[in-house]
Amino acid sequence: MRGGAEELAGHLCARLNSTPGVIAEVLRVPFSWEPFERLADEIFLNRTLQLSNVDRVIGLKFPAYLIPHHTKVLWVLHQYRQAYDLRDRAESNIPETPAGEKICELIRRADAEVFSGCQSIFTISKTTQDRLKRYNGVEASVLMQPLNYPELFSNGGDSGYLFAGGRINPGKRQHLLVEAMAATKSGAKLIVAGPPDTPDDANRLQEMVRRLNLEDRVVLDLGYHPLAKIADYVNHARACAYLPVDEDSVAYVTMEAASASKPVITLTDSGGVLQLVLNGETGCVASPDVKSIAEAIDLLCSDAARSAQMGRAARRLWDSFEVTWPNTIEKLLS
Amino acid sequence: MRLVLFSSYVPFVNGGGKFIVEWLAEKLRERGHQVERVYLPFSDAPKDLLWQMTAFRLVKIDGADRVICFRPPAHLLQHPNKVLWFIHHLRGFYDLWDTDGAPRHTPYYKALRRAIFQADRVALNEAHAIFANSRVVQKRLKKFNDVDSAVLYPPLLDPTAYCNRGYGDEVTYVSRLGPYKRQHLLVEAMAQVKTAVTARICGAVPGGLYSKELLRLASKLGIADRVSIENRWISEEEKRDIIGRSLAVAYFPLDEDSYGYPSLEAAHSQKPVITTTDAGGVLELVTHEHNGLVCDPDPKAVAEALDRLYSDRELVKALGSKAAETVEKLHINWDNVIDSLLA
Repeated sequence: MRGGAEELAGHLCARLNSTPGVIAEVLRVPFSWEPFERLADEIFLNRTLQLSNVDRVIGLKFPAYLIPHHTKVLWVLHQYRQAYDLRDRAESNIPETPAGEKICELIRRADAEVFSGCQSIFTISKTTQDRLKRYNGVEASVLMQPLNYPELFSNGGDSGYLFAGGRINPGKRQHLLVEAMAATKSGAKLIVAGPPDTPDDANRLQEMVRRLNLEDRVVLDLGYHPLAKIADYVNHARACAYLPVDEDSVAYVTMEAASASKPVITLTDSGGVLQLVLNGETGCVASPDVKSIAEAIDLLCSDAARSAQMGRAARRLWDSFEVTWPNTIEKLLS
Repeated sequence: MRLVLFSSYVPFVNGGGKFIVEWLAEKLRERGHQVERVYLPFSDAPKDLLWQMTAFRLVKIDGADRVICFRPPAHLLQHPNKVLWFIHHLRGFYDLWDTDGAPRHTPYYKALRRAIFQADRVALNEAHAIFANSRVVQKRLKKFNDVDSAVLYPPLLDPTAYCNRGYGDEVTYVSRLGPYKRQHLLVEAMAQVKTAVTARICGAVPGGLYSKELLRLASKLGIADRVSIENRWISEEEKRDIIGRSLAVAYFPLDEDSYGYPSLEAAHSQKPVITTTDAGGVLELVTHEHNGLVCDPDPKAVAEALDRLYSDRELVKALGSKAAETVEKLHINWDNVIDSLLA
């Protein structure tokens, strides 16, 4: 399985290796969390491994960040959220039983110990920073993940369409976007491009486009695309849309849009994305309902000047964050 | 097949133990298999062994049809379809137990040794199949663990890239520099040769202490002009060139577990190998006066071997071509490796 975290680790490693005086390697540890009792084994085994011949460890994910080392910096991409906020929302694989409670306790204690023993703690977004504060009582600084190829994303003009990139699954709510398209009045056009998690996710969207008679206004370009192609879609869009449920980070999709001076439509419950999308300034923050989303689409698709203005503001806001690889490396090594 | 290759490693150390995994992964992918490599860090400090063994035992690898385990304690993994390509034991507790390379025989370490033997017995018996990377390791598995295994020799990544580019006047020793590889034996021998043979010693060494010793030794013996010593990483291309143009290849590891890639590189380049009677696994590939010269581990004997090859080019050619034949006869190739591991 590979995801955003693996990609980030790979880029971080490459950037570290191009830093004078640094050599870096990625260490991946297999992780399985079913049945939930397995989590105790995972904690034990990671805490028991020995890392020799290493000056500094940068920990990214639970449970690998538990591997002991005298000089450890955490850049927390993933806690085991099912022991924290997802459990509060009853979305956890750990049951509400005494045994489940014990496992949660174990995870929290292992986290507490690693947090208190490391040199510094960074999170990738304000959302994760808040979560660490709330559940672990830990103060962390935000260190957003930089774009890996920032030079690919720059404004290429306005071809009038709305673009939605990223992985396609129910949590990213492309289905809401398509439904909203049917409720728009401006004749807006939408391109959705990205890899569906499952064939069902693809079928569902395709079926929806047919059912709502949107074939002439919604293009589904489903599959894994090279970044250059995605950049081309972004750079020529009127605006971008990204509607994840409670995303941890600002997300690449959002950063790429801002870098290309495009406003972003997102939702009030999209989490980390909201750091970069300010309603009416750098994009539109709609409520998670079809009508509200349709209004946001109509606003941006009927007013090119307004949209361009928001796009420029998005770019300025993104630049003001100074999220670049050199800055990131400097912080992680300080 | 979906295959996971599982091994232990020391961060930032690239040795034979890592190449065997990386190369197998590449060859499996070429044949259409899905492959993932999993390396977990391992420190071989005796005091840290037991806990780390427990950690390796607890690792769970999901989604693989088969897991191939390499360097210890990776073999302790629990998996319903586990195949071992065993490259060495925790030697301090096995064949080196009665040597300086072992931990002190305290009650703790004696008990730990028993625990290691027990853990290995369980892990070895669970395996679907066990392959040893040499007869040396095969014999140790039989002697210490009473386990039968088949020998499966590890090939080079791209054997055809090695070829004979003519026989020069230089004997080369291209390998990691280190006391246990005994490059100093070649330096000392060069002080006793009677012909115009030259020598080149190159390879990387962490720290560089040993390479300085070699340089000092060469200048003390007054042979610095005939022995070049370079402490640096040699690229594959450069290595092929150095070996390809050499007269012969020297390789003197002390009691090596396997034949060692340098011997194999020499054989593919049709060069005789000069090695020593105590080189261990190297002798599985190199036979005296058949495809190389095997001499006593002393400078005088090595010097005689160097002079002999320098003076008799017909012998060099004959031994070199036999060396290449030996690789064929021992079935050292990827098709054989992969057929065996996936059976």
